[in-house]
Amino acid sequence: MNNTFDIQRFGLLLKRKWLEFGKIYLITLAVVFGVILAAYAIAFWPVFTGLEPFNERKISFRVPLFIGLGFLFLTAVASSYFAHLGQKPKTIIDLLIPASTFEKFLAGVFFTGILSTISYLLIFFLTDVVFVANLQDAARDKVYFFSIVRHGLYAPVYILPLFVTSIFLLGSVYFEKFHYIKTALSVMVFIGVWMAVVFKSGELLTRGRHAVENNPIVHSGDKSPLECMLTLLLIVLTIVFWVITYLRLKEKEV
Amino acid sequence: MIEIKNLNFGYSKKKLLFKDLSMQLKAGHIYGLLGKNGAGKSSLLKNMAGLVYAFSGKIDVIGYNPAKRQPALLKEICFIPEEFYLPSVKIDSYVKANAAFYSNFDHNYFGDLLAEFDIPVDQKLVNMSYGQKKKLIIAFGLATKAQLIIMDEPTNGLDIPSKAQFRKIMAAALTDDRCIIISTHQVRDLDNLIDTVIMLDESCVALKASVEEITKKLCFKRIKELDDTVIYAEPSLSGYHALMPNYHDEDSKLDMELLFNAVLAEKIKIKAAFN
Repeated sequence: MNNTFDIQRFGLLLKRKWLEFGKIYLITLAVVFGVILAAYAIAFWPVFTGLEPFNERKISFRVPLFIGLGFLFLTAVASSYFAHLGQKPKTIIDLLIPASTFEKFLAGVFFTGILSTISYLLIFFLTDVVFVANLQDAARDKVYFFSIVRHGLYAPVYILPLFVTSIFLLGSVYFEKFHYIKTALSVMVFIGVWMAVVFKSGELLTRGRHAVENNPIVHSGDKSPLECMLTLLLIVLTIVFWVITYLRLKEKEV
Repeated sequence: MIEIKNLNFGYSKKKLLFKDLSMQLKAGHIYGLLGKNGAGKSSLLKNMAGLVYAFSGKIDVIGYNPAKRQPALLKEICFIPEEFYLPSVKIDSYVKANAAFYSNFDHNYFGDLLAEFDIPVDQKLVNMSYGQKKKLIIAFGLATKAQLIIMDEPTNGLDIPSKAQFRKIMAAALTDDRCIIISTHQVRDLDNLIDTVIMLDESCVALKASVEEITKKLCFKRIKELDDTVIYAEPSLSGYHALMPNYHDEDSKLDMELLFNAVLAEKIKIKAAFN
């Protein structure tokens, strides 16, 4: 018997987890779907009923809605995944289920990082397609939401869902209670301290000096090196957070 | 089956719950784990199941280190905790989701146990009473056919008929390759069930002996007056319930409660009787 990973056991674990986690997950997804539907209905209804003509401003709500709601949904799901480990009776059952810690961790990554992202993208794009498809033919091609993605986004954006969920997944296993608030506060404090350190150290290091004009990274006109570095940084940080989550799960006690 | 060597464990490094604790538990036995509140009964069980980590020492369970939580060992452990959680599903959904992890799970035996415990099969788990839930997890645990069965206060919340059913089922569940460890405060619930008594007190094992060995070395009697031979006695309506060395190979029935109190009150004398 492989004590680290077994595909059949992993499948059983996903099935078992769905029994407990699936209900909360589907309710959250339904709420998210309701919010998207409501936002689209409010914006498109006057156009459909002929009260107002269609213009680009009518659909400017989509980007902030997509980012804001997506962030809330992904972080809420990730933050609740291991939250039950703060309760002794649930922890005992979870730790003693005959699956490896790696499989339990991987199931967490699957539900929070992969399934949540895919399902969110799917319901957002489908809602968008349904509403936009009912617009006049002339406007339709320009305003599909996925047409923004089709031309390619800033590369780190593709990593962001995994990065954000990795932080909140760690928070769900690290804190015993109030996982979401504590994780959000920790991230804010960390960003604050980090920015202060970068700002202060930058000020100290560059005091009395002039900026170099032809910095190959910042001023080349080609943003790809910076983009690559940022993408790489996010990938590395995501992996680091996952490793810490795995170790934290491994050392969890009742 | 279980070998514990020089175990040092505590919830704080300053105050250890177990100091250099060592013991061996073998298959084919039902062990009764007794001790005062806070003596460490539940903690010892959690150490055996790998739910907590010791500071030092070694625990070997069926050839595995429980702290590693390997699936091969976890499927051989049935742990019935004092406090437990059951999801809001029906029994068949619960079994479908969990039984597949245990390769030896016996569905027919599980059905028999449900019937014996009189558990309604079509009811949602959250709507069951505490006692019904407890009986359900006991039935599920036994049906996994795990080699090591650990039970922490299993009779808490069970009514009187259920306690009798529990004793009957547990006695029938013991096989040569199984080891059953039951921790409880309610020592009378374990009467005629356990074959070995383990008592924890002051960070160590105060007593570990089989029922046969105990009744061979100690005699449990009702006496009118106390004399010098009595190790420990408790007053009763007709005199005293007394515990004394069994010098004349007398047959007596083990009084677990009396023994428990005697071990706490007269630890040195009891140890001397076993040496």
